[in-house]
Amino acid sequence: MRLRRTDPHTLAGAYALDALGDVDREKFERHLGVCEACRAEATSLRDAAGRLAEATAAMPPPRLRGQVLAEAARTRQQPPVRVAERVRRSWHGVGWSAAPRMAVAVAGVGILVALALGTLLINDQHQLHMYAAQRGQIAAILNAPDADIMTVAAQPHGSATVVMSHAAHALVLTTARLPALPSSECYQVWVMGTHRMRSAGRLPSPKLGMTAPMVVAGIAPGDRMGVTVEPSGGSQHPTSPPLLMLALPAD
Amino acid sequence: MTAELPGERPSAAPASELAGLLAKVARGDEAAFAGVYDRFGTVVYGLVRRIVRDPAQSEEVTQEVLLDVWRSASRFDPGEGSARSWLMTLAHRRAVDRVRSAQASADREARAAVATTDYDVVAEEVETRLDAQRVRRCLDSLTELQRESVTLAYYGGYTYREVAALLGVAVGTVKTRMRDGLIRLRDCLGTES
Repeated sequence: MRLRRTDPHTLAGAYALDALGDVDREKFERHLGVCEACRAEATSLRDAAGRLAEATAAMPPPRLRGQVLAEAARTRQQPPVRVAERVRRSWHGVGWSAAPRMAVAVAGVGILVALALGTLLINDQHQLHMYAAQRGQIAAILNAPDADIMTVAAQPHGSATVVMSHAAHALVLTTARLPALPSSECYQVWVMGTHRMRSAGRLPSPKLGMTAPMVVAGIAPGDRMGVTVEPSGGSQHPTSPPLLMLALPAD
Repeated sequence: MTAELPGERPSAAPASELAGLLAKVARGDEAAFAGVYDRFGTVVYGLVRRIVRDPAQSEEVTQEVLLDVWRSASRFDPGEGSARSWLMTLAHRRAVDRVRSAQASADREARAAVATTDYDVVAEEVETRLDAQRVRRCLDSLTELQRESVTLAYYGGYTYREVAALLGVAVGTVKTRMRDGLIRLRDCLGTES
């Protein structure tokens, strides 16, 4: 396993100033997921950058106040947890591009913990069979010479960690600290390529705050992977905005 | 600019004031949302205006930012930085997204010509405000290259690669100057967290 990096430490300043292009930012945010010191530095530098706005305060036109307050009064607010639960906007209306921005990735060690715990995360017989069937694949992906590890933050909290092998066209996904769902709902994983979106199945139900490793096969370079909340039986198409999304490396 | 406009000097408010307002906004409290607007509308609008420049677009973006606050106040997590930093990040990103997505390259070049004078304009505007004076003093403590790198990115909305091109220095140099400059600024402003 190796970490994809181009000396990311030095990007903390540019990141705090929003001076990174999309590719650089994704790369750096992946790095933040595995570097606690970098996260602390990025937070403090962002705080400092924000203070620069003190020098530019200016009165907006007076009419703006009324407009903004009126618009807010007819705008639905997002719930604090279970992001997607009540926000059943159409997927097409939302679009992947409107997915929550992966501002700061959290704990990159999720998958390692999940792997170490192994079968302890298995809830029932069905999952145990699945895990046993996938164990060989999981090991192959983790040991692939080209394996990349990436972590993204989920909204409103939690994270997903992915180990991906391009050669195997597959990845191993595990999550930590995602919001608990009622039994009527589940997390469903989606893979979006250039032309189509497909379901990659439901996440195993969490245990100890984590989900057992899950293999997603048939990944092509540049695909994106997202997770949504769906009714417990799963959906044909996403019916809620993704609570996390990850652009997979293109090479 | 007059010194006593309502809502001015937002940073005079304790940092926890915004956090307190956000907690109420998250519960749908429209009066608290009006409070956020009154206390922080000037700083949001001022920043957006500095980056976007076009007044009509600046109004639009400011409205988007404030509605973001309304919609997603429940997502503010004090564990990930101050409320103020959360707000300014929303505002800065929205403004930067607007100029990067909407503007043709010719337009950006025109903006570049203006952007190089940013620091002087800032210096002029800040005269009346204590907080702004502190920012200016701290900006003055940076080396010239640090200051130019930081202000072109923050007030100009440029990427570090664009800043490097504008200043005619290597991208690696700009990256480190931005980081060093912000560290110095942070320490000068006493914002270390």
